[in-house]
Amino acid sequence: MTATYPFEAESPTGDLATVGTPAVRVDGVEKISGAAQFVDDIDFGPGLLYAAIVESPHAYARIVSIDTAEAEQASGVVRIATGKDFPYKFGMYMEDRYIFAQDYVRFVGEQVAGVIARSHREAVRAAKLIKVEYDLLTPLLDPRSAVAEGADLIHPDLAAYTHVPWFFPEADTNIAHWRRIRKGDTEQAFADADLVLEDTYEVPRYAHCAIEPHVTVSRLDPAGRLTVWTASQSPHTQRHLFAQALAPLGFTHKDVRVITPYVGGGFGGKAGVSMEILGAAMATLVKGRPVKLRWTREQEFYNTYQRQGVVAELKVGVMNDGTITAVEHKLYWDAGAYVEYGANVVNAAGLSATGPYRVPNITNDSLCVYTNLPPGGPYRGFGYSEFHFGLESHMDRIAEAIGMDPVKFRKKNAIVEGDELAYGAHMNPSGLHEAIDKTAAAIGWGIEERSDNPNTVIGKGIALFWKAPAMPPNASSASFLKFNEDGSVNIAVSGMELGQGYLTVMAQIASEVLSVPVDKIRVETPDTDRNPYEWQTVASHVTWSSGLAVEKAALEARSKIFDVIHQVYGFEDDSLYLEDEAVRCKTDPSFSKPLRDFVIDGIQTDDGTWRGGPIVASGKFMPEFTNANSDPATGQGGHPNVHYTVGATGVVLEIDKATGRIWVRKAALAVDAGRAINPDLVKGQITGGLVQGLATVLFEDMRFDEGGRMMNPTFTDYKIPTAFDIPDEIIPIIVEVPQPDGPFGARGVGEHTMIAAAPVIANAVYHALGVRITSMPITQEKVAMSYLATTMSEGNQEE
Amino acid sequence: MDLNFTVNGETWALDVAPADVLLDVLREKAAVKSPKIGCERGDCGSCTIIMDGRTVRSCLVLAVEADGHEITTVEGLSFDGLSRLQGLFLSNNSFQCGFCAPGIVLAATELLERKPNPSRHDVQEALAGNLCRCTGYEPIIEAVLAAGAGGDQ
Amino acid sequence: MVISHEFDYRRPSSLEDAIGALAEFPGSAWILAGGTDLVAWLRDDAVAPDLVVDIKDVPGLADIALDDRTLSIGSLVTFTDLIESDLIADHAPLLAEMAETVGSTGIRNRATLVGNICSAVPSCDAGPVLLAYDAAVHLAGPAGERTVDINDWFVGLRQTARSDDEVVTRVTIDVRSHGGIYVKLMRYAGEDLAQAAVAIVVRPDHDFRVAFGAVAPTPFRSARIEDALRGKALDAALVGRVVALVADEISPITDMRASAEYRTRMTEVMLDRGLWAAVGRLSGEGLRYGERVI
Ligand code: FES
Ligand code: FES
Repeated sequence: MTATYPFEAESPTGDLATVGTPAVRVDGVEKISGAAQFVDDIDFGPGLLYAAIVESPHAYARIVSIDTAEAEQASGVVRIATGKDFPYKFGMYMEDRYIFAQDYVRFVGEQVAGVIARSHREAVRAAKLIKVEYDLLTPLLDPRSAVAEGADLIHPDLAAYTHVPWFFPEADTNIAHWRRIRKGDTEQAFADADLVLEDTYEVPRYAHCAIEPHVTVSRLDPAGRLTVWTASQSPHTQRHLFAQALAPLGFTHKDVRVITPYVGGGFGGKAGVSMEILGAAMATLVKGRPVKLRWTREQEFYNTYQRQGVVAELKVGVMNDGTITAVEHKLYWDAGAYVEYGANVVNAAGLSATGPYRVPNITNDSLCVYTNLPPGGPYRGFGYSEFHFGLESHMDRIAEAIGMDPVKFRKKNAIVEGDELAYGAHMNPSGLHEAIDKTAAAIGWGIEERSDNPNTVIGKGIALFWKAPAMPPNASSASFLKFNEDGSVNIAVSGMELGQGYLTVMAQIASEVLSVPVDKIRVETPDTDRNPYEWQTVASHVTWSSGLAVEKAALEARSKIFDVIHQVYGFEDDSLYLEDEAVRCKTDPSFSKPLRDFVIDGIQTDDGTWRGGPIVASGKFMPEFTNANSDPATGQGGHPNVHYTVGATGVVLEIDKATGRIWVRKAALAVDAGRAINPDLVKGQITGGLVQGLATVLFEDMRFDEGGRMMNPTFTDYKIPTAFDIPDEIIPIIVEVPQPDGPFGARGVGEHTMIAAAPVIANAVYHALGVRITSMPITQEKVAMSYLATTMSEGNQEE
Repeated sequence: MDLNFTVNGETWALDVAPADVLLDVLREKAAVKSPKIGCERGDCGSCTIIMDGRTVRSCLVLAVEADGHEITTVEGLSFDGLSRLQGLFLSNNSFQCGFCAPGIVLAATELLERKPNPSRHDVQEALAGNLCRCTGYEPIIEAVLAAGAGGDQ
Repeated sequence: MVISHEFDYRRPSSLEDAIGALAEFPGSAWILAGGTDLVAWLRDDAVAPDLVVDIKDVPGLADIALDDRTLSIGSLVTFTDLIESDLIADHAPLLAEMAETVGSTGIRNRATLVGNICSAVPSCDAGPVLLAYDAAVHLAGPAGERTVDINDWFVGLRQTARSDDEVVTRVTIDVRSHGGIYVKLMRYAGEDLAQAAVAIVVRPDHDFRVAFGAVAPTPFRSARIEDALRGKALDAALVGRVVALVADEISPITDMRASAEYRTRMTEVMLDRGLWAAVGRLSGEGLRYGERVI
């Protein structure tokens, strides 16, 4: 590895007391007793106002007029906002979005006006009285037609938009970003290959479906401070974007405060800024009064970030001995009406669209295409789930075509430490081979299983995955740490507890360094005025990045503690260590000084004076080996990703041949966590992520009509799994090949667990029925009808 | 209209409109926040409460319908410390974001009252109306089964 | 979404008062029992009544009773009541089997059998089963009581034979010895609306009732299929013949939930497997009630 690491982590091989143990969650009691507070649970008293939003019913139209006269007279109405009040742009990676629509609406649901009223009911009633006249335009709903010659331009001013330097928009097209990778000579490699397999895979849009809807309460106090309570994964990024977007009104970062209590699930949907900016902006119109805006479940579906759809054209060349020689992957992303966040999904996928394989010749094209559907954005897996569907389906097909066992084929090509990546950097240490072996063993790979039920057949499948955090090269984390009189510790960080167990893991890391038990460490959800910076809780990076910041703060606190002891007792720092909440000395085993005796008050010396004082510390982490500067034409030259987490997924399923009903009898997932700080929480990610991933292939998908309106924006018709719809047995497997620069060797696992779920089902369905399905989802209806079609055509041929 | 009811043993006399939904009234006027707003159409179970001994979806009950009735929420279960079931949820790290937890704790409590030794299928059946997006249900099901296997106490 | 319009609410304590309240607001009063449909519709602005009449305090509507061979189920009987009732288990097990597929526990604790056939959506689960049981629907109105044969109950999409000023008091079914099954096609094992449904009742003399749900604007019975089966012992050829009639008998639509082709194909599979299971149950063999064929 060429990377230089920021500092030496605690020895990952040393004896650890807390790290590696399944500690009980620090937020557990609050959550099972109903005490955990989410944004909507905070009381704001009788002054609270409610907002309701008027949304475009059309996918693409010019706004001719907005008539608010009647609504203004309606009972309880305090203020109405439209685009005129806030002609300001914002965006995470590309500023292509307005707070309220200006002249055009570009998706069904785009916000045209907002009502602030004294009650929720009055706000909703008044919103219905606002009349908007539209001049309708023909929407573009499919990325391949949006890139066709002569297609209407959804953003004619694209070339003028501000964006991060690693985006490459194509002026006068609907292509907001085109990530190209060119490595080796793909054409020659295809010509030389023994077999070239080419096909197209389609993946629709998906919804996060956190059970807590987006909700925000904003208040501008008379002194000019804007406070926003929000259900968000990204308090600091939200503050930054609010301050930027509202800068014309005179706001600076110091004037904006974001408070994020517990979040009821994120999965990427609460990253960045979406509806929250509406609440923040509207609150500036009613100084002194808090304004609540809560999305309905329907809005939650059609008016937050959606996982983008993709059409993937994939071509792979292979030699008869099973060596992959070339991959050409062209991804057309249906990125929606605004791509301020989604374009980075496209970028991330483009960089890594070979999957976890050693490939000498690569042509990747990942196109971020504007369409008149809701804005795409981050969703657990961040583009990787989408391209793995085709890629890992394809790997099985190639293995079959050259007569090789799919597991053997994958192992032959699986990437290992030091292999060159698509953009020229090198692969980090990884336990991919171990993950493959353990997964295959867990599902009894190679052992034929037969059903006793004449209506059903059994199939097995396997698929690999990899993913790197997708983030700016300098995304950073920071932490504050302080001791209390009794030797307990408070840690302030700004990562979010989304359920993954972040607070617990941070407590475990500090506990390990300081020898203070987890239940004496309080880590709480952030407030941007009090807590130090964190970029966002996305990309499965906080265990790693924020974990390093906490580890550094704890190490700093420890060295301050040792300094005090050294000053008073003269022991050299390197002879000291912490054990059971006390300072001990290697050279004087009889020495023991409990932390609670001095971490606030200090230590009294022989002359009656005191040394020490409150132990406080801070830590920060920013990767210093990454850069996003690469050649736009080839993608070569940069080091955009910090590291990859890898693994494998396998299933055994049973299918009713007539109904297409699929029962997942067994599912195994092995992920290389580097070091599982808390194995229980890693298993939680495996189980939860796997079930979420299986749902995208078995049950879910967003449907839109020809006008671009979502047809199934309810749980009645967007079927997320219930307690019945999970595998009969889930086998979580933790592989631990340490990440040299991770806290105790840890790397992230949160998103990875859902990535291979879709292709593993596709492969197992093929194994069971001989039917290859190349579009998601693979519902029982699709299975039954595809199987029926093959049996009928076989029947016809026999006649 | 008058609404007189009992919430976790405490009586309340409130004035509500016929169009007010019980879930909103509990959260805004009766000092319980554990029933959550998840879908407002009966699909997700996060608004689950126990009314006269049975779980119901408070998003599909008009507040006036609760007049004269008795309501229990998780806040009410936790007065005297955690229940045995809650203790198992805790030690098993059953929940992640915890947004679904109040509803699931009540649904599982109702099940164990009716079937002290439920099968896996019984547990799935009892929880099937409570959506959880985080956990994949398995750690929740395990804890409920453990609570059952422990028998009555 | 909040309920954005206003209405009056009454909770009468007698049947007469309930009927009187309905009469005061002709056509704009809605009856509230479990509320699991009505409150959702109020939130969606799908209905906008002036008056909601809550019948939960009307006495006598919450009973399940057996009188000789007639089982009576009051209009406040919930799906949970059906699942937990010994009378139902012993005399009309299809009702419990059907009830287990409705919504979720929190819904079933509130939603009523009668409310389900009053909402009368095409996928209503109670419809096919009550059709297969030859149920009678009992109503009370200003003009007194009357009984409607379940075969005449569903008159159109979400339309029933009830007039606006009537209250359904109960349904009754004849509980002679029988076997049967309710087969429901769902998109997954969890809570779902029927994409297609088949209810079958077979008597010891092999008199069959075969009813379908979610494959036409209303639940309905197929006389052609019943005639073809009547009095005969099942064999593969007979089942093949009646299954071949299905496509002609049903008129499913393609919507977001399923295609017409899939609904048709699955109705055939469900009838095929359902017939064997129903006859098996008649003789006390094969699947127990609650065990599924799909
Ligand atoms: S909020 Fe009541 S069921 Fe979802
Ligand atoms: S723990 Fe997040 S929804 Fe259940």
